[in-house]
Amino acid sequence: MSKLSIKNLHVAVKGKEILRGVDLEVSEGETLALLGPNGHGKSTLLAAIMGNPAYQVTSGAIMFDGQDVLALSPDKRSKAGLFLAMQYPSEIPGLNSADFLKAAMNAHADKPLSLFQFYNRLQSAYEAMGIPFEMSKRNLNEGFSGGEKKRNEMLQMKLLQPKIALLDEIDSGLDVDAMGIVAKEIGDEQVRGAGFLVVSHYARLYNMIKPTRAAILINGRVAVNGGVDLIQKVDSQGYEWIKTELGIPVEKENDDAMNSVSIGACATRVAVNHGGK
Amino acid sequence: MAENEVSKTLTYVDEIPATLTLKVPTQTSLKLCLAAFKPLQNTKIDVEVAEGGAFEGAFADFSPSQYTFTLNVYLKGSRSSCDWHLAAIADKKDNKRYDTSVYHEKEESLGLMSNYGIAEGGSKLVFAGISEIEKGARKTHTRQVAKIIVFDPKASGQASPILKIGENDVEASHAAVVGRLSEEHLFYLESRGVDEAMAKRLITLGYLKPIEQRFADSKLQTKIDEAIEGGITHD
Repeated sequence: MSKLSIKNLHVAVKGKEILRGVDLEVSEGETLALLGPNGHGKSTLLAAIMGNPAYQVTSGAIMFDGQDVLALSPDKRSKAGLFLAMQYPSEIPGLNSADFLKAAMNAHADKPLSLFQFYNRLQSAYEAMGIPFEMSKRNLNEGFSGGEKKRNEMLQMKLLQPKIALLDEIDSGLDVDAMGIVAKEIGDEQVRGAGFLVVSHYARLYNMIKPTRAAILINGRVAVNGGVDLIQKVDSQGYEWIKTELGIPVEKENDDAMNSVSIGACATRVAVNHGGK
Repeated sequence: MAENEVSKTLTYVDEIPATLTLKVPTQTSLKLCLAAFKPLQNTKIDVEVAEGGAFEGAFADFSPSQYTFTLNVYLKGSRSSCDWHLAAIADKKDNKRYDTSVYHEKEESLGLMSNYGIAEGGSKLVFAGISEIEKGARKTHTRQVAKIIVFDPKASGQASPILKIGENDVEASHAAVVGRLSEEHLFYLESRGVDEAMAKRLITLGYLKPIEQRFADSKLQTKIDEAIEGGITHD
């Protein structure tokens, strides 16, 4: 059974230390709910596990199936069986969804899929996720609504069949129907034996996917490891009790702008020289 | 639409004249096929299309050039049409500008200007041009598509198609996209097992490959195919 194990992980973003010694384990077959206030490092942890270059691991270790994950590029981490459903999936200009999915599936397969196999799997995955098959002809995530992007993340998880999936607020921006579809897909992968590390702010998703354990990330460390009763406690009481019961002061979120967005004028589109060498 | 009585194809490979004036007579069609693999000088092509005439143009430009390519298509007669497709790669120190314009002078004319490009290295790629519908040119359709993907931080791209519309009863649209493949994009793709080289390959093929089908000559098709592959693999 594959196990993802994180030891004393320290991670900095733009020189600022966000994770300050995270210890955590997730095995295939279990679903770990990762809780914690905004800005305390949940997304940072998931991004660092997958190898986002914007997140620098300054010390600590991540092991998966006996492999040193930190020595692997993100595509090799994917092929090793890790998957990250992102909070803000990128819109990729010029990249056709079906072409991309085929390349990703082939990267994971021992030998390239036949066109017939590929289309069969693609079509049934689109159907299962309630996404019109026509969308496979569009560029990856380009012009997709928030909910469509999230379902598209689950579509990719379904096609790539990871051993451990990291889900970063997969339920944000979903309506009730889409939430049901996403929860069902997670359930299917749980039955297959996949392990999950799930970040969400809402008990609603957790009620649907039935985690096996819960952990709370405070001030860049795992402050509490426990059972699923933690989910209800946080849902009803927030995080104040951490301070009163455990004596851990909860640092205020530093509200840096998370995403810089630029919008072009009418039809003119410019990508300027960024001054790279 | 009446059947075209005469159809003619003009093909230039590398030896593209600096100026070219073409006339498409009534009820005929003209196909202009351009392909370039060697450096080009400034080029200006004017096309006049008479009533019921059809101009079709395709340009596969893999030339290492610093130049401006100008195309003006004058739809002088009613029910005349223009169907233009460009696929271009700019690399290294290339500086390529394409001004592709169509002027709808009469009613029920049809104009499509479609330009796709990839900017790599330290190159600059500009897609511009005007689609103008003159007063009285009722029931015309015009569309400009300008799409550029920029692969390298030192490369730049600009797409600024302009629509000028002097008549109400028309359909006009434009789509302009300049996308830069950023570190965040690459991380997203790599996190699914697709490495950087494969991602660039998929995008390049998606943008440039469709031009091949517009060339009837299979040897030229092969040469274009090799140039696309070369543009993907050279670095």
